[in-house]
Amino acid sequence: MLAMNDKTDDLDSDFHLEDDAIDHQDFQLESPDVSDVSEESLPQPELYLPLGNPEAPQEEQQLEIQGFEKPVYAVQIDDMKEPLAFHFANNLLESLEAQGVQLPYQCREGYCGGCRTDLIEGEVAYLQEPMAWINEGEILPCCCVPKTPLKLKLKG
Amino acid sequence: MAYQTFNRNTFDAFSQPMFFGEHVNVSRYDTQKYKIFEQLIEKQLSFFWRPEEVDLSTDRKDFANLPDHEKHIFLSNLKYQTLLDSIQGRSPNVALLPIVSLPELETWIETWSFSETIHSRSYTHIIRNVISDPASVFDDIVSNEYITKRAESVTKYYDDLIEGVTYYQNLGEGQHQINGETVDISLRDLKRKLYLTVASVNVLEAIRFYVSFACSFAFAERAKMEGNAKIIKLIARDEALHLTGTQHMLQIWAMGKDDPEMGEITKECREEVIEIFREAAEQEKEWAEYLFKDGSMIGLNKDILCQYVEYITNQRLAAIGLDSIFPTKQNPLPWINAWLVSDNVQVAPQEAEISSYLVGAIDSALSLEDFSDIEL
Repeated sequence: MLAMNDKTDDLDSDFHLEDDAIDHQDFQLESPDVSDVSEESLPQPELYLPLGNPEAPQEEQQLEIQGFEKPVYAVQIDDMKEPLAFHFANNLLESLEAQGVQLPYQCREGYCGGCRTDLIEGEVAYLQEPMAWINEGEILPCCCVPKTPLKLKLKG
Repeated sequence: MAYQTFNRNTFDAFSQPMFFGEHVNVSRYDTQKYKIFEQLIEKQLSFFWRPEEVDLSTDRKDFANLPDHEKHIFLSNLKYQTLLDSIQGRSPNVALLPIVSLPELETWIETWSFSETIHSRSYTHIIRNVISDPASVFDDIVSNEYITKRAESVTKYYDDLIEGVTYYQNLGEGQHQINGETVDISLRDLKRKLYLTVASVNVLEAIRFYVSFACSFAFAERAKMEGNAKIIKLIARDEALHLTGTQHMLQIWAMGKDDPEMGEITKECREEVIEIFREAAEQEKEWAEYLFKDGSMIGLNKDILCQYVEYITNQRLAAIGLDSIFPTKQNPLPWINAWLVSDNVQVAPQEAEISSYLVGAIDSALSLEDFSDIEL
């Protein structure tokens, strides 16, 4: 009670029930005249649509963190002129498929060996240990990502 | 020499070859000579499923409405698969367990064989659900010449090995008089029989199953017999794993480190193995002809199926380091891959993509009359 009495003494220093003047406004019910707003000052003067296929893997990372950039490696396929890039797919198989390269596949988990591909140049890292038998010079694209630029030769 | 259920000898488990070493004593899996077999066991166990989990009530209606030549295709494939899994459900155990020398491989063989018995049970589940007289289907398996002809080439390597190993374990190496016949038993010859057996099992699981798989998935592409396709999908997932198992055995032998003699045998048998592949591919093509004798089904005919057999034969040969024997380079049935993917194998209908379930759940057909009693 004692503390409360103390507070009541300097109550009017905390609250102004009657203000002398409104020098700012938080909102306004009537909007200002729009006719004088120029084209440039509009937040988005036109509708932006993504160029090309919006479902395609993104070229850029959405979030840039220094030192954590994902390198984009070139993936050269035998009989194909233009090298492809390893995009932000879960694995090499997905990345190749997204760029129109058809590979045989079955389990997509590394145990059947259906997607065996010859690795001519480069190095890959396995995301999970492949269970299928892999001969020397072969990789399983369904469970690996490139560590360096790659040169591949498709089977068949 | 004779088989011992618990070998009392003390020996270094890591120095044993896969087969024809010491008989296994302690089933221990803390360390392995080949950890791949331990991984295969774990994977196979994680795949566990039961046929009864798949609902086949729509398949019964679908089957009744199939034209006769499609009924023939469907039932013939089921009969053939029943035969193959009857063999696979017991033969790896009978033939390989008496001679295996590594605990992880022993357990892999048992796990592998066990999963084949699930497959056999699921054929019974399908047949029982789809037709009213299952006995007629099962009885035909042993009398149908198109099926028994192929049974012969599937089983002869197993039977040869089992017979040889029985003599070896009872009588040992050397010449023996058995039932008035002179039989030569040598370990080297038994290893050769073993190699050919595993190669023919590899062919069985790599090629022979896939003609039936293709037909089942072709039905399901038309939204027919989808429960059946669901089961076949689960079976295909298991078979892909078993195939990896035999490929590992063949490749471990080929390297010659496990058993130098097996390395030599691999080289000696090269041509013979290619012939086993060729024979199997030709038989499967004949089978395709028998399947489609009264007419093709939508999306699949004899020629495409034969090309598919050639395509997968080439693929399987390449997997064990052999050259292709057929000109076909492209997969003529690329849509099959989507059915063979394991990551979307789900059993419960509410989680699965069985369209009959989804179609039955929501009636999406609307007409203007449906809104006639609504007033705004």
